[in-house]
Amino acid sequence: MTEAEITEKVIALVTPYVKNRKALSNITPDTTFLADLGINSARLVDIVLAFEDEFGIEVSDDAADSIATVGDAVALIGKLVP
Amino acid sequence: MTHARLRLRSRLALRVQRLLSHLGLVVTGPVLLALFHFRFRFSAHDLARVRARYRALRAAYPGPLLICSNHLTLVDSIIQAILLDSLWSYLRHPAALPWNLPEAKNYYHSLSWRLTCYLGRSIPVERGASRERAALAQAQMHYVLGQGDAIAIFPEGKRSRDGRVDDRDFSYGVGQLLNQVPDAKVLCIYMRGMRFGGFADFPRAGERFYLQLEMLAPQSASLGLRRARDLSAQVVARIKEMEGEYFAARDSGRLALPDTA
Repeated sequence: MTEAEITEKVIALVTPYVKNRKALSNITPDTTFLADLGINSARLVDIVLAFEDEFGIEVSDDAADSIATVGDAVALIGKLVP
Repeated sequence: MTHARLRLRSRLALRVQRLLSHLGLVVTGPVLLALFHFRFRFSAHDLARVRARYRALRAAYPGPLLICSNHLTLVDSIIQAILLDSLWSYLRHPAALPWNLPEAKNYYHSLSWRLTCYLGRSIPVERGASRERAALAQAQMHYVLGQGDAIAIFPEGKRSRDGRVDDRDFSYGVGQLLNQVPDAKVLCIYMRGMRFGGFADFPRAGERFYLQLEMLAPQSASLGLRRARDLSAQVVARIKEMEGEYFAARDSGRLALPDTA
């Protein structure tokens, strides 16, 4: 799976949880889930679990803690995806 | 970060805070009780039964305990502590007085509130905190639970703006704590003002409080974050059920204010 495909899926999975809808149109790898997209930490857990289901991966608690930006998520999934 | 990795200085600081809050109860306890009874003319429904039940549960489960409650006002923790046990009992059994987890932004803006929170046995938490600060707060919670203390926590992670338990958008903090301290027991509490009730910064004078408490043993076959979510959902669902029981009792007349019974 290419980075672009992962990014596209990540954005699709994140979109229902985004509170700051304006930020959605300008997503970059540096966009943060909490500050920029207005997602709270509990919903970020839901998103990580959605990544697990969608990509068939297992994200450790420590790895989940390290996800702050869209780029972090894409990089992590890229490493874990079979 | 587990409590084993919490620095000695931090562990000592928590022990000193616990001791000072206990000793300080001699002063803060009567002041809070005077405010409760005389300044705000608060009262409680079936107080003797509530306290007897809490004492029995604490005796049956003397180890780490998560007291999980619905959240309507800024002073729920204080009122809940006053209702759960007597000052005399807290003085004799320091572990009966739970630790609290106030949002730093709301309570740590002035020296007087900082002192109140310190003596009120609080561990401040920050929404959106850095990983390091969040890990430190979690390690502190883990440590006090490991000492056999109780922590009062609001599983919704916020106050219920519409006055009802939000069982759709809630925090997973309870589940994460249970992942860290699997032997911790869960005590679910539903507390609400019977006269005015609902969401408010402070309860109105003359309020009469209802409090129901029940042990819960949430289970999950999953691990990690999924387990945290499962356990948190079960706790919130039980408190939501207790809310339903409260309103059913009020609607049927089984639970009434003394002046309307």
